[in-house]
Amino acid sequence: MNPSVRIERSAEGIVTLWIDVPDKKVNIFNEAVITELGQALDEALAVPDLRALVLRSSKSSFIAGADIGILRQLTDENDAAAKARLGQRLFERIAAAPCATLAVVHGACLGGGLELALACRFRIVSDHASTQLGLPEVNLGIIPGWGGSQRLPRLVGLGQAMQMMLTGKSIDGKRAVRVGLADRLVATEFIEAGIQAFLAAIPAQSNAARTPSRSLRERLLDGTAVGRAIVLRAAKKSVLAKTAGVYPAALALIDLVERTYAGPLDTGLEDEARVFGQLAISRVSKNLQQLFFTRESLKGDPGLPYDGVLPPVDHVGVVGAGVMGGKIAWLMTHRDLDVRLKDIEWPAVAKGFAAAHDCYEQLVRVRRLKPETVNVKMHRLSGTTNYSGFGSLDLVIEAIVENLDVKRTVHCELEGVMGDDAILCSNTSSLSVSKMAGALRRPGRFIGMHFFNPVNRMPLVEIIPGEHTDPATVATVYALAKRLGKTPVVVKDCAGFLVNRVLLPYMNESTRMLDDGVDYARVDRVLRTFGLPMGPFELADEVGFDIGYTVSQVLEDAYGDRMAVADLLQVLYKEKGVLGRKAGNGFYVRNGRTAVENPEMRRILSTLKTPSTPDELSDAQIVDRAILLMVNEAARCLDEGVVANAAYLDMAMIMGTGFPAFRGGLLRYADTRGIADVVESLDIMSKRWGAQFTPAEPLKAMAADGRKFYNPETDG
Amino acid sequence: MKERVAIVDGIRTPFCKAGGVLRAMAADDLGAVAVKELMARTEFPPEQIDELIFGNVAQPVEAANVARVLALKAGLPTSLPAYTVHRNCASGMESITTGANKILAGQADVIVAGGTESMSNIPLMYGRKMTELFTGLFKARTVGARLKAMLGFRPSFLKPVVGLEKGLTDPICGMMMGSTAEVLAREFAITRDEQDAFSLRSHQRAVAAIEGGRMAEEIVPVPVPPSYHMVQERDDGPRAEQTMEALAKLKPYFDRQTGTVTVGNSCPITDGAGAVLIMAESRARELGLHPLGYLVDYAYAALDGQRMGLGPIYATSRLLERTGLTVDAFDLIEINEAFAVQVMANQRAFESDAFSRTYLGRDRALGALDDDRLNVNGGAVAIGHPVGATGTRLIITLLHEMRRRNAHRGLASLCVGGGQGAALALEVES
Repeated sequence: MNPSVRIERSAEGIVTLWIDVPDKKVNIFNEAVITELGQALDEALAVPDLRALVLRSSKSSFIAGADIGILRQLTDENDAAAKARLGQRLFERIAAAPCATLAVVHGACLGGGLELALACRFRIVSDHASTQLGLPEVNLGIIPGWGGSQRLPRLVGLGQAMQMMLTGKSIDGKRAVRVGLADRLVATEFIEAGIQAFLAAIPAQSNAARTPSRSLRERLLDGTAVGRAIVLRAAKKSVLAKTAGVYPAALALIDLVERTYAGPLDTGLEDEARVFGQLAISRVSKNLQQLFFTRESLKGDPGLPYDGVLPPVDHVGVVGAGVMGGKIAWLMTHRDLDVRLKDIEWPAVAKGFAAAHDCYEQLVRVRRLKPETVNVKMHRLSGTTNYSGFGSLDLVIEAIVENLDVKRTVHCELEGVMGDDAILCSNTSSLSVSKMAGALRRPGRFIGMHFFNPVNRMPLVEIIPGEHTDPATVATVYALAKRLGKTPVVVKDCAGFLVNRVLLPYMNESTRMLDDGVDYARVDRVLRTFGLPMGPFELADEVGFDIGYTVSQVLEDAYGDRMAVADLLQVLYKEKGVLGRKAGNGFYVRNGRTAVENPEMRRILSTLKTPSTPDELSDAQIVDRAILLMVNEAARCLDEGVVANAAYLDMAMIMGTGFPAFRGGLLRYADTRGIADVVESLDIMSKRWGAQFTPAEPLKAMAADGRKFYNPETDG
Repeated sequence: MKERVAIVDGIRTPFCKAGGVLRAMAADDLGAVAVKELMARTEFPPEQIDELIFGNVAQPVEAANVARVLALKAGLPTSLPAYTVHRNCASGMESITTGANKILAGQADVIVAGGTESMSNIPLMYGRKMTELFTGLFKARTVGARLKAMLGFRPSFLKPVVGLEKGLTDPICGMMMGSTAEVLAREFAITRDEQDAFSLRSHQRAVAAIEGGRMAEEIVPVPVPPSYHMVQERDDGPRAEQTMEALAKLKPYFDRQTGTVTVGNSCPITDGAGAVLIMAESRARELGLHPLGYLVDYAYAALDGQRMGLGPIYATSRLLERTGLTVDAFDLIEINEAFAVQVMANQRAFESDAFSRTYLGRDRALGALDDDRLNVNGGAVAIGHPVGATGTRLIITLLHEMRRRNAHRGLASLCVGGGQGAALALEVES
């Protein structure tokens, strides 16, 4: 067996432990590594005249964390706590070593990796961009379990530590030194010299606990009970404001630190292991763990298998300079592609420029970009009203009005001006790709590429190959989506594809609830409490009634009664001319930066509805009507093979609609509820609110066989 | 020249009054927009370009070698060398003639040339005394020394040096460009009325060119930063409502008491850029291109800075010598309208035997620059004069008009601050 740790002795009493987990691209902690590191430590500590122990990685990164696979298998609280104690004990031995201990951090140093580094007396960090130090455990619904929650706050102070642990965000080497997490920054190219100089400068037996220097402000806040209470209360308030408390790990972490920060380390570690154990087996954590694996699986997924060499995509055209087109143009230029933006009139083209620039402005405001960089990136964008320059483009994305005939006309125009090898993508949200391709001479080069609004926030891109689309086209567009930093999911060419097909029944049903006298603001509130980022009526305002209506119609045409457009939507859009936020006449109106209910909408609704039995729905019924109807349609999608598996479907709904991650996704939610319960609830609702709730055949079959969407054996 | 140099295509931004619509765009931004559009419209492979040469007068401090900066902003390859040329108002032409020399010398096959200017962004500067005070402060090591340096301060030090004004002043003769125009008004006895009439016609012709869609052919509309909500599609100088009465109301600007030159009969300070793709005629033919036109030959000449406005006749005289052509051989002529009086002075000099004898060593006049051949789409008095870009625009505008009229030969000429002139002989396929 390949040992994960190699011991290197040099003169002057220095021993280096090289960590190199076999058969892995990055170092990941598992039980074998823990054991071997422990053995290596024994051996190292036995070296006579040991002056310093250096911990390094033989790979291009330090240690990326612990094996999540093991975490996923944990089902017992005590078992999980014991796992934490195992790592804690090893790290405590390192911390207690009778010599100087030094972690050399280059590349990712996350989770357990940082906890190991924290157990060392010294840390030096490289200035490489890949050097990132962080404790991202909270993203998996757990807390650091190997001493991180204890050692980090004691080293860098409460404020900085809580920020790192609660956001899970990592910091680079330069910042690590600034906040006192690392002792010295070294140039990546001179790392060896940096280690030697550092070791030469530290006195022998330099293992005394360090008293970090603190500013007066920090001494007041961290050093007094009142100060600590202020910091932690602020942290709690911020967590609650951001997540409404649905992610228990963050709150548990704050409580843990509050209990243990001022106390002795060993009781703190014990407490940490206990809390870790509780969280590791919690439902929310299991959901987040599942999503982690889904993300990993999507990362490695090539879309459709394709072996050939992909053509370069550097020069891209976008047709239709609306908000969507403009934001797609932003995304492309942001990722350093040149974009030719085409619309009919120059003022329309300028709107696209403005939409792109708005996205950049947001990044400047949060200091992610400098204005000079924005200037250079905006220069990647050029406009036209007549397809000039389209002959030399590698790929064109059409983002015009959702109308089959108009799209077909424009596609034919594009085929006339584009090169033979160039790829044409339609950013359609519902129309059949194969049907659109019918009129094209090169259907192999045509594909659906569906971005989600707002493009700068939503990570999902649906890739929709038509009947005749070449595998090379699919692979190219898939790779492009990844290059753009998006998560592509290949879906089948059906009306609405995946996300809109699942989402539209929810929008329609929510609208029908108003007919029953339910207040729309209440529906939004209840569904936000469920975890959605915005309620259906807020969403309708954002999307725009025109677009919502068009897509709804396409779906009704394709799927019939179960997707019937809600009468009220028809009335509001067709008769009352309601458009939503863009026209300032939706369910809500802007009052400065906040949205308030639109009194005009209230008035319109009061003239329309004649509730027979007003507002008798419970919150749970509202959730069921909205959410279980989506489950019903999602089950059909899965059965028809619209998407590869339940995990991808869940990820698509999370990334395309903001479905709450702590619930693990739509189907994961159905699993948690129990499929039998879902079917029964649908059955009951179908009797009261209509045939759209009739449980889908695949759901009924699953209930009958006792199957779930996820495999309980492997998926935790 | 041993071979004609093809001007494959040319494009420019709208020309807009300085301090106005395009003020948020620096010279490199304007140039980049023009070059990017040139590359898009021609679809010429960028990797086949050997060099980019751009003219620019008020070179921005934040974009030293503005040509290189704008080339990269335009998306041209990192491996493409670029440099900036400066021959004052002829910089836009200089980029083309320098490029032509390189091509004919076998140093390059394909060159992007052009000119750019953001007169909006010419900075105000601290004067010498304030600069010295700062230098003293930076050097001061002790509190005492710093205090001493600061005590030297006088409020008058804060008076800014206006870069634009300095740039438009000839440091040798000490005259502002407008004052050199007054010299010509007196020498050729050109009245205020005549100048205003010329200016009015410039506006009328430019407005007709815009309204007839002729200018749009050479302009790329620019979505305007910082917000990009609005798009500038046309030159904003030409005024359809311009009248003799309005022009007559203006006070002389450079010589308040006895002068004739006003802001109405001078070119406005302006922002804008233009770019052209050039290569040897033989190369264009190999590539199967249909160039917009050709550069046949060119000449520069120099004269007394106080009479710099006469640069065109000096340069044209040399051009005619080199080519053996006569003024009559040119179907269309563009002479930059730095000042109405300065173009009119050239017209008179072109017709004058005496001028030719005295200044050009010729027996007879060069020949008349008839109004119906000269600046037929108006000129800088209306359209404006972004100094580094104008030379490029004259050539682009002239070639487009020659094609429309099926004309064969054209002359583009301008006067250059400091006392020079440029003249280019151009042709289109006919």
